[in-house]
Amino acid sequence: MKSPLFGPFKHPQPGVHTLGPLQVLDVPMRRYQPDEEIDFCIVGVGSAGGVLLQRLARAGFRVVGLEAGPFWDVERDWVSDEAGSHKLYWNDLRITDGSEPLTFGENNSGKGVGGGSVHWAAFAPRLHPSDFRVFSEDGVGADWPISYWDLKPYYEMLEKEMPVSGPAYFPWGDPHGYPYGPHPLGGVGNVLVRGCTALGIRVCPGGPVAINAGAHADRPHCIYRGFCIQGCKVGAKQSTLYSHVPDGIACGAEIRDNCMAAKINLNDEGFVTGVTYFDPEKRECEQKARVVIVSGYSIETPRLLLNSACPRFENGLANSSGVVGKYLMAQAGNVILGRFPGLVRMYKAPPAHALTEEFYETDPKRGFARGFAIQTVGPLPIAFAKQLIAAKGAWGWSLRREMMDYNHWAALGLLGEILPWPENRVELDKADRDQYGLPVAHVTFNLHENDKQLIAYGKEKVKEVMWAAGAEEVVQEARYAHLVGAARMGSDPRTSVVTSFGQTHDIPNLFIMDGSVFPTQGSANPGLTIQALAARTADYLIAERDNVLARHAGTRRAPPIRHDLAPVGTSGRGVPRLKGKKEAKHR
Amino acid sequence: MAMTDDQRLLAERTASTRMTASEISRLPIDPGTGEALLPRAQPGYYPGYHTLSQQNFWDEATRNLVVGRVKQVPPLRFFSPEEAQLMQAILDRLLPQDDRDEAHKIPLLPFIDERLYTGRINGYRYAHMPPDADAYRLGLQGIDAIARHLHGQAFIALEPQKQEQVLLTLHDGTPPAGKEVWQRVSVNHFWMLLLQDAVSVYYAHPFAWDEVGYGGPAYPRGYIRLENGRPESWEVEEQRYAWAPPPTTLSGEASRAGEHGLDEPRRSDSGTH
Repeated sequence: MKSPLFGPFKHPQPGVHTLGPLQVLDVPMRRYQPDEEIDFCIVGVGSAGGVLLQRLARAGFRVVGLEAGPFWDVERDWVSDEAGSHKLYWNDLRITDGSEPLTFGENNSGKGVGGGSVHWAAFAPRLHPSDFRVFSEDGVGADWPISYWDLKPYYEMLEKEMPVSGPAYFPWGDPHGYPYGPHPLGGVGNVLVRGCTALGIRVCPGGPVAINAGAHADRPHCIYRGFCIQGCKVGAKQSTLYSHVPDGIACGAEIRDNCMAAKINLNDEGFVTGVTYFDPEKRECEQKARVVIVSGYSIETPRLLLNSACPRFENGLANSSGVVGKYLMAQAGNVILGRFPGLVRMYKAPPAHALTEEFYETDPKRGFARGFAIQTVGPLPIAFAKQLIAAKGAWGWSLRREMMDYNHWAALGLLGEILPWPENRVELDKADRDQYGLPVAHVTFNLHENDKQLIAYGKEKVKEVMWAAGAEEVVQEARYAHLVGAARMGSDPRTSVVTSFGQTHDIPNLFIMDGSVFPTQGSANPGLTIQALAARTADYLIAERDNVLARHAGTRRAPPIRHDLAPVGTSGRGVPRLKGKKEAKHR
Repeated sequence: MAMTDDQRLLAERTASTRMTASEISRLPIDPGTGEALLPRAQPGYYPGYHTLSQQNFWDEATRNLVVGRVKQVPPLRFFSPEEAQLMQAILDRLLPQDDRDEAHKIPLLPFIDERLYTGRINGYRYAHMPPDADAYRLGLQGIDAIARHLHGQAFIALEPQKQEQVLLTLHDGTPPAGKEVWQRVSVNHFWMLLLQDAVSVYYAHPFAWDEVGYGGPAYPRGYIRLENGRPESWEVEEQRYAWAPPPTTLSGEASRAGEHGLDEPRRSDSGTH
């Protein structure tokens, strides 16, 4: 069939990866021998792992990425179908416990090259400067060992590399503009803008989202089909599979897909020597490496460390602090559904395309610390039916009848900051094991008073917006979105696992870099910050190569920023960023 | 004795549709006239809209998957024949399809059976729940125990309304029998498991997309009319008609009234943001 947009589609061929309709990855991938010691072994090629792999390969290192899931050929493997996208998620068993048990799988966990970035909705807001100083400013949570200004250059860099579409002026946090223009609004965006405008709340239409509003190099623009969290077959929504992995492979990185890491190995001197993993045939193998970087996200990273316990680290590798697995966070992600007299058809346009951060900062008048964002979401029919069951108690005929009005409903998401608590944690389950015989994660999650007050206030505010937009019925479902924490960064080795560069306090040649290093989470979707932190860690590893490869601690000083390591065709593109006056003042 | 108008009407409809009075009593009605609405090929407000007619505009992988879902219904391998019969009766009340004609009923049981047979899960299990396969086997026993407790008969032998009475006790979190089952299987989680499995199959089917007016697969064509709910050139305008659930049903109105009996709020596992 001739395509409406791009001409005939290529049929998949063995050994060639089709990434969207235009991107073809036919560079023969470098293969390292099993006994060859490489420089960096990265466990998990997702949001952070993909960026690290690309950067380190481009800088000339020998890099292998172990990925538990497949290396997708998207034209062959992905479908434009809700139920058929189940395979994109980390569906292996985890036990979920606590007073507010989290759900996993499609809710927050990816598997396969690109990881969570394959199925994220791609909202890409930055954290605010206050997010790095939560303990100093509010007396709760924790401070980051770095400030917003340390991360800002990496935000700017990643916003071009992904790239991020958004308005020329984004008013919250550190006000800034986006390199690529915003998206048109869909039905849900109309609702958010209408509701906020009626209430005098500032709202940001069309971004920031890591989705191409216009074509960008060999990646097409968005076609507004609404399947973002089912994997963007178009190639318009950023995942590291599209934005960084191809460049990494062209620069000599190897990715071993369907390879599940089982244990990180430690020698008698207390340095890691490599990773034991199961290959696609479930044979046990070892990859020796001078440095191991764990990028498995907030459940699998602590699980791997705990599963790597050894005589020197009986409570889990790099866990002399006892903090590995603790301070796990999810954001309050209540979905507020509003029924409108007219049609909305919320399945069109990316679910993520408008937001407000007007309630992001602490407001003493509200009686709780920190705040929340309000964002568009766009559940497809199965997800929406599940929400109706939870939100309205619908079943039987009432469910059939409510569902016939699917096109009349719009959905808005609360994104609220839940504080880090030690008892929200990842442990090893005592009974259940996975298909490799490894103990599975046992995850406990509870809410505390500040969290409860924030959610109660936040969801009422979202309801107000929905009513103000003209809804004739408003209902809500309690749920949680994203995962971060469980191997947090900090300057004190007694209360944190890694430095701001992801270097473990305990083992100089073991790094952790993914969402698990967040000390707090703000009310911003974590994807951009994860990738920005990964780029910063890559700069550190490159600047400190002599120390790090020799298993020394390194200087722990901020490295020079390497703009020259961006994937080809991404550096210096987009409109020139707006230079805010604030920037000079804070530097 | 002379027939009342209602009885005469019923007799006429029974004769004209070859449906029994019991079958007609399960049908939705026209709230204006009170008359049963006969089963149709496509319930919903989008007559003439067929996602499958657009399959030449879908990519090959998606077309193979969706057409396969319609044409190749998997065999039953997990449930025993007795369990399958009970499970089918439960699904007929959880997501009733009496308004669909036989050729357009959406098979739910085979796909749930396939999930349980292949052990496919959504990446988690609640700490106090057994694995899904055990939860189903136990839960079915629990449902039958409630049926016998309330009505002295097996669930499958009951009239729809009595079956709904049984299920309503699960919805409300207050099962009056089967205590040994509900000690091992959280009623709350089991109810969500059943319903979420049912909708995951029903609303994955193109017939259901036609019913709710959902655009279906949209690659590589995409959408161009994003605002104000306007249809694409191949979609159709909404054409509403009045209908009400069958007068005897207990599931006609969504209700959260029973939730005070639950230990935690109900939560779905859908990923949205």
